[in-house]
Amino acid sequence: MNAVVFNSVTKRFCHRPALFNWLGRERGGATVALRRVSLQVPTGEALVLLGPNGSGKTTTLKLISTMLIPDEGVVTVCGADTSQEGGTVRRKVGFAVANERSFFPRLTARENLDFFAVLEDVSKEERAARVEEKLSLTGLADAADTLVMKFSSGMYQRLGVARALLKNPEILLLDEPTRSLDPGSAMRFWPFVRQLLSGGTTVVLTTHSFQEAAAVGDRIAVLRGGELRSEREFRRGDLQSNDLLTNDGPSIDEVKALYFQASADNEDNPAFETAQ
Amino acid sequence: MRRVSLTEKLVAIVRRDVLTTIRYRNGFLLSAVGVLAEVVAFRYLARAIGPAFRPEGVDYFAFLVVGSGFYTFLITGVQAFLSTVQDAQQTGTLEVLLTTSTPAPVLIFLSSFSAFAGKLLNLAVFLAVGLLLFRVPLLHPNLAGVCLIFVLSLAVALAMGVFAAALQIAVQRGSVVIWLLGSVWFLTGTLFPVGALPLPLRWVAWWIPVTHSLTGMRGALLLGKSTPELASEILWLSGAAALLVPASLAFFSWVLRRGRREGTLSAY
Repeated sequence: MNAVVFNSVTKRFCHRPALFNWLGRERGGATVALRRVSLQVPTGEALVLLGPNGSGKTTTLKLISTMLIPDEGVVTVCGADTSQEGGTVRRKVGFAVANERSFFPRLTARENLDFFAVLEDVSKEERAARVEEKLSLTGLADAADTLVMKFSSGMYQRLGVARALLKNPEILLLDEPTRSLDPGSAMRFWPFVRQLLSGGTTVVLTTHSFQEAAAVGDRIAVLRGGELRSEREFRRGDLQSNDLLTNDGPSIDEVKALYFQASADNEDNPAFETAQ
Repeated sequence: MRRVSLTEKLVAIVRRDVLTTIRYRNGFLLSAVGVLAEVVAFRYLARAIGPAFRPEGVDYFAFLVVGSGFYTFLITGVQAFLSTVQDAQQTGTLEVLLTTSTPAPVLIFLSSFSAFAGKLLNLAVFLAVGLLLFRVPLLHPNLAGVCLIFVLSLAVALAMGVFAAALQIAVQRGSVVIWLLGSVWFLTGTLFPVGALPLPLRWVAWWIPVTHSLTGMRGALLLGKSTPELASEILWLSGAAALLVPASLAFFSWVLRRGRREGTLSAY
């Protein structure tokens, strides 16, 4: 059974230039964020999305979460069409967004989570314990009563994961979840994700880290210019150990090869190119 | 099956807004001082104009306190709600809120309600200071009428707030609604009676909901008019609420779907 299915999905963003645009020369037209992308994520597996900036990774997550609706094609989550059955989809999906500031700055971490737990229909009887559990799980128990405006980027990021987990989602979307974490926390985060997978949660994760992709992914897809350039499934044994060295997923070299194979023709504008 | 009631959700939203407001400590104190200063200014304005001026048959100070207090409540409620939406857009909270299990129209309506609840405290202080401290005589106020006019006016203002939020998401300019409401304030009978306007402007004033809110509120609170005597205001406001509340929610839902399609939910 597939938890998430993309069936020939296209997503465009139209830019309407300003009035009297000759004054500022803003670029108009449309940007194709995803172009006829088809993919499946089986229940209980982790799909890792790799790709350069602007390749369509976050758009893919937003389409699953119903933040966006596809222009063409169909996205289904546990059999529900995101365009038609948004409410059903939202009850199943937890999304840790990359925007770290998406909290109420003058509420504490506990107050923020409690607020979102109410909106996520976590019952009153369970709520306090659920919030406490997610705070502990993300290592924020000691900062629970601190206003989040005083948080560091890494703490925001952990709080974002805690929020996404509040409803114990069937599908967890993680947008560059370790971007601001220290290396130690990041390396503890990967086995944590594998543990969620073994509990039946489906995970879709975007990252720029080959190490993260290797540590978490059951399948890895590479997006480039809105197109799905390559996708590969990696067989894993039952991962119970927290030691990444015993991880029988793909090696970092395999992930790198997959990534660069998808962009061999080097069609991008290269960033930070050094002089030859 | 719903596991968390609407009341619980409303309480959570109000709690969030109250906590946020009181944690802006200086802002909270300054707005309280502002309310008191306005009442005192009205007291001296009424004294300067003299006791002979009794618009709609009531003391001018009472006319100002009820008119300005209630008008400010309705307009700043819309403004506060719009600010909440704008802040949520800028921080990226809006997108996250709209992916929770709570349906967006419910969420937006409850948030709007909370914004008005915050301004209710201002109104209470305004009226308490104005009517009690300065001892304005109330002639057997019709409390049922006051409540009815208040609820109907609130429903219309909530709808305006939802319209403003929808415009904010659609074209990033929800402040147009505030501008429209603000630009017609002199027609609504806030500082002087509508009867002082020329006939064509009186006709325009009749189409503005706040005009009926203020007339009804003054009639019920200051003149003690019975509910049948308030019928024209009650009917007008009921009709407006019946039309505007569903229309604003339908418009908001449409805008939301458009925002999801165009990816502009958090554009500001």
